[in-house]
Amino acid sequence: MSQFYEYLKMAVSNIKANKVRSFLTMLGIIIGISSVILIISLGNGAKNVVTDEMSGIAAGQIALYTYDDTGTYYITNDDIDAIVEQVDGIKAVNVYNYFDGKLTTRKGEFAVSGSGQMSSFPYFSNSTILKGRYFSENEYKAGMPVCVIGEEDAIRLFGSTDVIGMSLEVVPSWGNSITFDIVGVEKKPDDSMFSYTYENSPVNIYFPLTVFSQIYGWEMDDYYQIYLLAEEDADTTAVTSQVVSLLEKRHQCFGESIYQYESFNDYMSIVNTVIGMVTMLISLVAAISLVVGGIGVMNIMLVSVTERTREIGIRKALGAKTRSIMLQFLSESAIITMIGGLIGILLGIGGAYLVAKIVAMVQPTMKFTPAVDIFTILFTTLFSSAIGLFFGIYPARKAAKLSPIEALRRN
Amino acid sequence: MDTLIEVKHLMKIYNPGENEVRALNDVSLTIMRGEFVAIIGQSGSGKSTFMNMLGCLDVPTSGSYYLNGKDVSGLLDDELSDIRNKEIGFIFQGFNLIPNLTALENVELPLIYRNVPAAKRHELSVASLKKVGLENRMDHKPSEMSGGQQQRVAIARALAAAPPVILADEPTGNLDSASSKEIMQILRDLYNEGRTVILITHDNKIAASAKRVIRIVDGKIVSDTSYGDNESIEAIAKKIEEEGDKEQGYV
Ligand SMILES: Nc1ncnc2c1ncn2[C@@H]1O[C@H](COP(=O)(O)OP(=O)(O)OP(=O)(O)O)[C@@H](O)[C@H]1O
Ligand SMILES: [Mg+2]
Repeated sequence: MSQFYEYLKMAVSNIKANKVRSFLTMLGIIIGISSVILIISLGNGAKNVVTDEMSGIAAGQIALYTYDDTGTYYITNDDIDAIVEQVDGIKAVNVYNYFDGKLTTRKGEFAVSGSGQMSSFPYFSNSTILKGRYFSENEYKAGMPVCVIGEEDAIRLFGSTDVIGMSLEVVPSWGNSITFDIVGVEKKPDDSMFSYTYENSPVNIYFPLTVFSQIYGWEMDDYYQIYLLAEEDADTTAVTSQVVSLLEKRHQCFGESIYQYESFNDYMSIVNTVIGMVTMLISLVAAISLVVGGIGVMNIMLVSVTERTREIGIRKALGAKTRSIMLQFLSESAIITMIGGLIGILLGIGGAYLVAKIVAMVQPTMKFTPAVDIFTILFTTLFSSAIGLFFGIYPARKAAKLSPIEALRRN
Repeated sequence: MDTLIEVKHLMKIYNPGENEVRALNDVSLTIMRGEFVAIIGQSGSGKSTFMNMLGCLDVPTSGSYYLNGKDVSGLLDDELSDIRNKEIGFIFQGFNLIPNLTALENVELPLIYRNVPAAKRHELSVASLKKVGLENRMDHKPSEMSGGQQQRVAIARALAAAPPVILADEPTGNLDSASSKEIMQILRDLYNEGRTVILITHDNKIAASAKRVIRIVDGKIVSDTSYGDNESIEAIAKKIEEEGDKEQGYV
């Protein structure tokens, strides 16, 4: 074992004696390892972003819509009641409808994005209540002009989140003005690319969908798109097809594919699969460059063996055994690839954070951290050492097999 | 005095077959512990080939070789490495130091391959370098030293592990006369301390430092003469010269 330490020392002193060459040899490994780390970290980071976003707003959420050119089919309030009553595994159903408008407070004039929701809104919101409450079933049924706003919007409008009981007089760009009583303030959601505020971004207010009858002057009862939320343990596909057949039965349009749906879970897994595949593919290319780097190591080690034939002869004459020479040269290529691997890991991680920073500058709404996991690092370290050993074996054997007189004779 | 080297009917044939070269042709020889032997002969006579056999750098085609009581003629590569490490200290014409190691590190090499612990190794190497007068050049690389100094490092390396045999192949071949004298003085000192020294040379004046001179012609020993301890170098040199002329006359 102490012998082994000597070989390591010899290897290190030799690497030091040929700094530039050793560095150039490492370069292939550095590039290979850093690109593997960079790509895997970015890929995993992107996957995490997508997963977070999706699970924040829409895990288990299914969009169901009518698909027909004639405009004869739609979904009614009765349909929705029937779905909730008759289909097992449905947790909630919701319909959204939006209007644009503006409102004025002491703090100035603000654009408004009004969002009418059913009383199941809390299930579909990606946030939770901070102060007050959501609107109730009764308020929904009665079409009461009450609303919930976000924490940040409350501060923008009034400078405080103590706004329960205050009213907002909203002038829609089309339809009648209406005064909402604030009943709740929602927490600011975690950073999300789907809900963000910027300067002059509209104030979001959430209110009972039934209030639209006061804005537009007529009842809303025909929807082209509704949102279903399945129970957590339910099979979303099975539940959704049950909903579809119920609707087909109620509207007498069996098998015409009028009612279609998209599940966000499906989206998510597709997006993840695509990101995973792209990551894999690029990693493969990077791995190939790693192998090329390994061949570079072998190449230089072979040159080194030829150049140091005399040294090998001297060492053998002085008593070095085949194994000693072999270990000395193997240590050298292993150390070169290991140092290269370490530099590569650092560069890869650094590069990934740099890319994330650039992304954040270009697209400030996308808060994106690269995911550097210990597994990737361990694996790449092992892989680079393995490459060093594998591609080091041939030159090392060649060196070790030299006969001492042959080696000494060469000059 | 006991026997250190015993060689019997040693043959070394290069390129067996059509144009074979009998570099050593039936050489038998015994060398006692503590002798100072010079092996002389013209270029191509087989001196280096013989040195390679004696130094266990190469194996003979046939014949037997007992070194320090062990039969070493049929050993494998790694076994020969072991023998070289333990039994032989080499001094080469071209010094054969490793260029990117310091004098001290070069001297330590045989001790590393003998598994001597670092502290002991350092101690032995420093002592060895002192012996050849290089204690103030220990951290110099070979390229920073004169030829004579480099050869002294090589001698220190040969001595460090205290092997029974010192084997020197044309040790002064690359040196000027002053450095040559220094080196030969060191070899004589080693002999006087009781070490066994085998010197290979084509130079009669160099060979005259030895007390026994073996002449090789065409791979065969043609003469083997011992001289008294009290004979001067000049006297021995003269005798070797005369004997060489006599030899020349026979051919
Ligand atoms: N590897 C080899 N292959 C073939 N022939 C060889 C080989 N090595 C030596 N010889 C031949 O063997 C003979 C003895 O060579 P050797 O090197 O022992 O001579 P030498 O006495 O050391 O000569 P010098 O004084 O020039 O060094 C020579 O004829 C040489 O050509
Ligand atoms: Mg020779």
